[in-house]
Amino acid sequence: MTDQTDLTGFDFILADLQSRYLRSRRTDAGQTPPTLAHDYDLIENRVLDSLAFVEFILLVEEHSGQEISIDSVSKEDFRTVDSLRKRFFDGS
Amino acid sequence: MSSTHATVAGRLDHDPRFREVLDRLVDLSERDYYNPYRLFEWPEALPQDRYWMTPELMVEHGTEVGSTLTEQQLRAISKWQSINFYSLNVHGIRELLHEIVARIHTADFVVPSAYFHHIIGEENEHMWFFAEFCLRYGGKIYPSRSMALAGPGIPEADHFLVFARLLIFEELVDVFNQQMAQDERLDPTIRKVNEVHHHDESRHIAFGRQMVAMLHEDLRQRIDAAGLRTLETYLKQYMRSSVDGLCEPLVYRDAGIPEPYAVRRRVLADPAHPAYVERILKRSISFMTTTGIFTSGLFEEPRAMEAVR
Repeated sequence: MTDQTDLTGFDFILADLQSRYLRSRRTDAGQTPPTLAHDYDLIENRVLDSLAFVEFILLVEEHSGQEISIDSVSKEDFRTVDSLRKRFFDGS
Repeated sequence: MSSTHATVAGRLDHDPRFREVLDRLVDLSERDYYNPYRLFEWPEALPQDRYWMTPELMVEHGTEVGSTLTEQQLRAISKWQSINFYSLNVHGIRELLHEIVARIHTADFVVPSAYFHHIIGEENEHMWFFAEFCLRYGGKIYPSRSMALAGPGIPEADHFLVFARLLIFEELVDVFNQQMAQDERLDPTIRKVNEVHHHDESRHIAFGRQMVAMLHEDLRQRIDAAGLRTLETYLKQYMRSSVDGLCEPLVYRDAGIPEPYAVRRRVLADPAHPAYVERILKRSISFMTTTGIFTSGLFEEPRAMEAVR
């Protein structure tokens, strides 16, 4: 798993998503781990599913510094790295 | 001995015991019917210097974090943790109502529909008094943390998973209700809310257990062993994550505890936490094991079917 201890803000979230992305794919030993593309569909490809979402939203909340009301966000905000950055980390 | 039915309705229709249970539950619901809007006295305020939750049921109990908190901090946490607990109830009931309303008087659920009316009515009332408690004494309902994204990806298990999740949620809540209803350290209003909910939920749990056992029996005819193992893994994760939802950073923030997100991480990573999870879920785990839905412990991988037989 990527060492995320020194990362903050959006960099932490990016590293976390990269780890989740690798876990969601089967990479053969010796194969170079693929890098998560910023327009990759995290929901369709099950990088984020219902069970993982609860922990993930707390990480986004902590690292964006804003309390997130589920009523004011949509699936689209979490669909890609780009949409996440735009919705929660714009300007960081 | 189970037999194969073409549809879920066939399974539910042809079980005389299920019909008997439904008739009994409808009778009990009619007999115990009450007006929740007039049942509670709702004092102006609740004492701030007492526990609002049974201390032994608090998620910090027995952890290193718990041992470093002062009595005053623990009481402050107990207030906001109870508001979070009732908030989780409000959100859980919303999901329950949504799913039951989607199924009432549909082809698969002709038999239990009469009882669905009672569940919908009673759950609506529970949601009202839990929301009332949060708004009166906490000034808010904590936000839901969940979003409906992909599940385990087994469409045949849709009904089973819905009723299994609802049962897990109800049993988890009932563990708290049962104990807090009798805990004399808590204010009478808190005890009353928990007592009333426990009384109604015992019927819903009896129904949920019948339903989940039958739907799983039906599912065993329809999907293979690998699919059953996927469902087992999913439900175990769902159970653990439901308990973890009791540990909410906004609770620590409102109780004046510094670094609320880090505190939550420390509580969940504490070596004492898995035993807490198993204690809170003891009844559910036992049911899931007895019915064959779980083939191994809560923190273990499902066993291969050959090993189970």
